Amino acid sequence: MKRLGLLFLAAVVVVAAGVAIFLFKPASLPDVSEAQAKLPTGQALIDRGEYLTRAADCVACHTTAGGKPYAGGLAFKLPFGTIYSPNITADKDTGIGNWSDAEFVRALHQGIDKDGQNLYPAFSYAAYAQMTTEDALAIKAYLFSLPTIKAEAPKNELGFPFNQRYVMRFWNLLFVPSGPLQPDPAQTAEWNRGAYLVEAMAHCGECHTPRNLMFAVDNGKKFAGAELQGWKAYNISSDKKTGIGNWTDQQLFDYLSKGHAEGRGSATGSMGEAVDFSLRHLTPDDIKSIVTYVKSVPPQTSTDNAIVEAEPAALTASTAYAPSADGAAQDGLGLKLFQGACASCHGWNGEGIQTPYAALKGSRTVNDPDGTNLIQVILKGAHMTTPQGRQSMPAFANAYSDVEIAALSNYVLGHFGGKESAITPEDVATARKQ
Amino acid sequence: MIALNINGEDRTVDVPEDMPLLWVLRDVIGLTGTKFGCGIAQCGACTVQLDGRPVRSCVLPVASVGTRSITTIEAVGATPAGKKIQDAWLDLEVIQCGYCQSGQIMSASALLNRNPDPSDRDIDTAMSGNICRCGTYPRIRAAIKQAAKA
Repeated sequence: MKRLGLLFLAAVVVVAAGVAIFLFKPASLPDVSEAQAKLPTGQALIDRGEYLTRAADCVACHTTAGGKPYAGGLAFKLPFGTIYSPNITADKDTGIGNWSDAEFVRALHQGIDKDGQNLYPAFSYAAYAQMTTEDALAIKAYLFSLPTIKAEAPKNELGFPFNQRYVMRFWNLLFVPSGPLQPDPAQTAEWNRGAYLVEAMAHCGECHTPRNLMFAVDNGKKFAGAELQGWKAYNISSDKKTGIGNWTDQQLFDYLSKGHAEGRGSATGSMGEAVDFSLRHLTPDDIKSIVTYVKSVPPQTSTDNAIVEAEPAALTASTAYAPSADGAAQDGLGLKLFQGACASCHGWNGEGIQTPYAALKGSRTVNDPDGTNLIQVILKGAHMTTPQGRQSMPAFANAYSDVEIAALSNYVLGHFGGKESAITPEDVATARKQ
Repeated sequence: MIALNINGEDRTVDVPEDMPLLWVLRDVIGLTGTKFGCGIAQCGACTVQLDGRPVRSCVLPVASVGTRSITTIEAVGATPAGKKIQDAWLDLEVIQCGYCQSGQIMSASALLNRNPDPSDRDIDTAMSGNICRCGTYPRIRAAIKQAAKA
C-alpha cells in the first residue's frame, strides 16, 4: 500500500514537472535566415510589406480613433477584462524598435513577445500563424520604415487567472496552427490565394466565426456569424438564406473593394473599417481570389434573423422623395425623424439620393429585427473613402434620445426591411455603452 | 482638374476630389448664394440641385457630381418651378433672417418640379430636412401652395 502511494506521488511529481516545463520553459526563436535570403531589399521589400500590412489590417487594431497609425492603445473589452493593443512602430522605448526579425516572426506565428512572454489572442496570431515567414518579415520591414511614435499603451486590466500570461500556452497548444497555410493541390491557384488572404492575412474568421467556450474561433461553424463589441459580424458562409449564398460574384467584389454593392447596402462599423483600411487597397485579382474562396466555404445556417426581404411592400410603393401613402407608421415619431434627419440622403425607396452609399435596400442592417448594427450606425455614423471622395454619415448619438433612436430604428426596419421589430429605448441605452 | 456644369456653364476647377461641392461653389467659383449651415447634411441650408434633384452640397464630394448639371440659387429663377417659387416667396414675404432660404427655395422648387400640386403631407416630406430657426414654416407652406396655383 505504502509502495503504491509512493508510486502515485512520483507520477504526480513527474506530471507536475512536465506541466511546469511546458508552461515556463523559455520560448525558443525560429530560424529566419532562409526567409531573409529570399526577400528583396530596399524599397521593393517595403512596398511588399506595405501591401501585406494592409492585407493583414494591422492598423485597425493598433490605432485608436483619431490616434497616430500603429501607435497602439485601442481598448478591447472582453468578458475577462480590458486589454490594449501595443505600439508597433519602431520606437525603441515604447514600440518594437528593438525586436529582431526572429522575435517579430515568433510574435506573429506563436503569439510570444520579445521577452518570451505570451501575448493574448485578441492579437489574431492564430490566423497570422498561417502566414509565410517571408511575408511576416516584409510586414516588419514596412513597419520599421515608418516614423517612430513614442506612445505607451495603457496597462491591461485583467483579473486572475487571465492575467497569468503563461496560461495561454495551453490555449496555443489547442488552437494555434503550427505552420504556414499549405496550398490545396486539388484547388485552383486563385482559390489557394484566396484561402491564404482570408485565413492568414485578412483574418475574416476572427469576427465572422463564432467562438467556443475557450474563446477560440470554432471552425466547425466557419463564417456562421458572431457578435462582438456591440456589432454583429454577419453570416458570410455560402448559406443562401442567412449567409452570402445568394450574392453574385460582382456584389461580393464590389462590397469588398468599395464598401458598397448594388442591392446589398454599404459596409459600416468594423466591416466598414476593414474595407476602408484594408480591402479597398488590394488588387482586383486578390479581391477575386477572396470571393472565390469565401464562396466555397460550406453553408452554415445561423439562427440570426437578419434575413433580407427582397421587395418590402412599403419600399416598393415609395418613390425616392416620398414614402407610400398608406402604412401604420404614418405620422409616427419614427417617420417624422426619418423625414427630417435621414430622407434627404437616403430617400424613401432604398436607392439613396445623395450617394449610392446611402442606398439601404437589401442591406442586412435594415433587415435585422434585433437592430443591432442599425442602432450602432445611427449612434456612431459611418464613413468610407471612395474613388468619388469620402462618403460620410454623421453620428446621431448626441442629437437624439434613446426614445427617438428606438422609434427611428423600428420605423427603418419596417419601411426598408418589412420587419416587425420591437426595439426599446433600453436597447439603445445598452448599445450606447458598447 | 474636375469638369462641372454650373448653372448652364461649363467650368473646370483645380481642387481635391474630396472637396465638398459647397466649398467649390462658394470659395473657388465665388457663388456665395448657397449657404453653409451645419456641414453634416442636417439643416438643408446648402441645398443645390443636380439634374433638378435636391442634394446637400456640404457633404457631396465634388468628384461624385460627375456629368450631372448643377443648379444653384443664383440660377434657379430661370427654371419654371424656381420662378414660381421665388415669385410666391416675395409675394408672401416668406423670408425673415434669410440664412436658410436659399436651401428652402432649392428644395421647394425641386418639389414643385416633380409634384405640381403638393399636399400638406408632400410638403412635410419634402421640406422637413430644411430647418429655419426663424420659424417661417407656415409662410413656406403657404408660398409653395401659392406657387403651385400660379
